[in-house]
Amino acid sequence: MRKNGVKMIKIKAKDVDVFYGKKQALFNISLDIEENQVTALIGPSGCGKSTFLRCLNRMNDVIDICNVKGEILINDFNINDKSCDVVRLREKIGMVFQKPNPFPKTLYENVSYGPTIHGMAQSKQEMDEIVETSLKKAALWEEVKDRLHEPGTGLSGGQQQRLCIARAISVRPEVILMDEPCSALDPIATAQIEELIDELKKEHTIIIVTHSMAQAARVSQNTGFFHLGQLIEHGSTDKIFKNPDNKKTQDYITGRFG
Amino acid sequence: MNLILFTFIVLLGFTSYYFGRKKAYTIQSTKKRLTALPQFYGYYLAIWCAIPAFIIFSLWAIFEPTIVKLLILSDYSNQGYLDDELNLIYEKTKALSRGQFTGEITPFIEASAEKYLSLRSIAQSSKVVIVLSAIIASVAYAYKRISSNSRTREPVEKFLNAVLFTASLAAILTTVGIVFSLIFQTIDFFKVIPLFDFVFGTHWYPAKAFVRDSSEALDPTMYSDTFGAVPIFAGTFFIAFIAMCVAIPIGLMSGIYLAEYASTKVRQYAKPLIEILAGIPTVVYGFFAALTVGPFLKELGTSMGLEVSAESALAAGGVMGIMIIPFISSLSDDVITSVPQSLRDGSYAMGATKSETIKRVIFPAALPGIVGSILLGVSRAIGETMIVVMASGLAANLTLNPLESTSTITAQIVVILIGDQAFGDPKTQAAFALGMSLFLVTLCLNIVALRVVKKYREKYE
Ligand SMILES: Nc1ncnc2c1ncn2[C@@H]1O[C@H](COP(=O)(O)OP(=O)(O)OP(=O)(O)O)[C@@H](O)[C@H]1O
Ligand SMILES: [Mg+2]
Repeated sequence: MRKNGVKMIKIKAKDVDVFYGKKQALFNISLDIEENQVTALIGPSGCGKSTFLRCLNRMNDVIDICNVKGEILINDFNINDKSCDVVRLREKIGMVFQKPNPFPKTLYENVSYGPTIHGMAQSKQEMDEIVETSLKKAALWEEVKDRLHEPGTGLSGGQQQRLCIARAISVRPEVILMDEPCSALDPIATAQIEELIDELKKEHTIIIVTHSMAQAARVSQNTGFFHLGQLIEHGSTDKIFKNPDNKKTQDYITGRFG
Repeated sequence: MNLILFTFIVLLGFTSYYFGRKKAYTIQSTKKRLTALPQFYGYYLAIWCAIPAFIIFSLWAIFEPTIVKLLILSDYSNQGYLDDELNLIYEKTKALSRGQFTGEITPFIEASAEKYLSLRSIAQSSKVVIVLSAIIASVAYAYKRISSNSRTREPVEKFLNAVLFTASLAAILTTVGIVFSLIFQTIDFFKVIPLFDFVFGTHWYPAKAFVRDSSEALDPTMYSDTFGAVPIFAGTFFIAFIAMCVAIPIGLMSGIYLAEYASTKVRQYAKPLIEILAGIPTVVYGFFAALTVGPFLKELGTSMGLEVSAESALAAGGVMGIMIIPFISSLSDDVITSVPQSLRDGSYAMGATKSETIKRVIFPAALPGIVGSILLGVSRAIGETMIVVMASGLAANLTLNPLESTSTITAQIVVILIGDQAFGDPKTQAAFALGMSLFLVTLCLNIVALRVVKKYREKYE
């Protein structure tokens, strides 16, 4: 959403450090994420992209040895603050993982999982509606509408990933985090998901980690380049790809390392 | 003697392995490519050593005793002895040759004993000669045959296949053998006691069958109201039910705690501690139930104005449940831990709490394994004997009051088979009938369990 041509900032990371035990994985990351835009995070393997993504919905809490320092403001509220309710936070910030991970339940139960635990539907009818719209938004409805009560694990890889996207958007999150969502998929399924991302950004803010430069260039408006736990450069995708300030960025994008 | 021979053959096996490999290396050094790794040539020769040895040993074991017996008894033929008497003579001969004969020694038997000894020593030395020459011949033949392009890998693999197959066959055949031995005795039992009386009779009182003098003829009417199995089946399931009421909730909850909540440190100590419970011999549980829990329950009951028998189903079942806890907790901990982390992450990322994640995602995903562990616990409970014998008494009361004493199938088998028993007596056969029914029950249980698990798998994999 733009107000008078000024882009709204949805997420503001300030001086974020992350430690796994004694080992520091992220150094002093400060990054602004614009609302209703797709932001791509790129960088060589092990540079901390996933770690940063997991900071944004506090999924690093799940890892015992992981320790996050610094401020992350979402809608101007610091999610690292003690008063932050993780359940509410994760309701607002959805996540799609690298490997499709549908629950061993039916398609319907997979999509209705979030709405159920957040008590978003008052009746069966409402739930049916949520499931249908989510699946439609995830471009999966036509393929599965006759088999909603079959296990989600019986779908193809690409369908499973779209099911996971449907699951993530079922609670109408404001932000969707995607960690290499296409790395297990073939080009056709990848194209479908990219199209979907373009569609989803109308209602959601999207942050996507990807190893494919082409994908970053295709789907994102902003790009951040990570290297060895540091955010080397960030800005509009156009600028990063055509005219980066930093030599490392230039080298990575042109495939000279990483 | 046999032991020395056996050791020697094993040594021969190693030697042939060594020579086979050496020949392979020699071939290799002439720059020829082998069809298999040198070890296979070694194994190949070792197999050629083992097979003839095995065949000759088994033939010997089967035929030697019969042949020796025939030769000894040929001296007594045409003298009008009955078969039984001939057998007796042979037994006496053997005993005398071992120096264990205590009766009156007749010259005939003494002569036979000497003959027996000489026959045995001839047999023994010819066995040594035959085995060794057969081995040497076969190994030499195989050694000559192996060359750069001979096939050694396939025969070795086939041999391994055959050995493994034999092992599993042995296990299966033993089971079949056990079932058959049960079946025949069971059929004999049901010739005397009508099946209907056994399955639907409500009085189990095998002690009544003691009264019979074995010289009297069998009188079926005498056994009516003696072998009605309903009380002990009911008792078995009842005690198992009490045990599972204790074991399932505690076991499952501690399994979930260990897998999901406990820190690595707690888990590191708690898990082995719980598993210690599984290592306690059941006799110990038995006297714990009989001497500690039973009297405690009795006192507790008295103070509340309830009549509690010192030997109660509750004491036996409760302690049995404690015994089963580690099976369930340890196994369910394992299956829960093996649920992929990606499912947990998926659930947490949706904003689910830990308990919601466990209830809605992890537990269903781990269910087949959990059902498996529970059924394992149930069959332990049904098969458990010692605790029941010690803590729940031996009188087969038909009751559903956990404060009274009841008895189970296994405990009754113990009751029946303790002390003197005569084969062919309905009382002894009753034990077989019980064993058979126990077998059928656990079989059905396993089949049901496999079905459940399979159906669930089909649905979600
Ligand atoms: N659970 C963990 N425990 C310890 N160290 C971790 C853990 N997860 C990540 N790390 C370390 O943190 C650093 C950043 O890892 P991260 O997974 O964020 O990289 P990434 O950029 O996502 O890499 P990739 O592109 O391969 O997914 C790495 O050095 C990694 O070894
Ligand atoms: Mg990653």
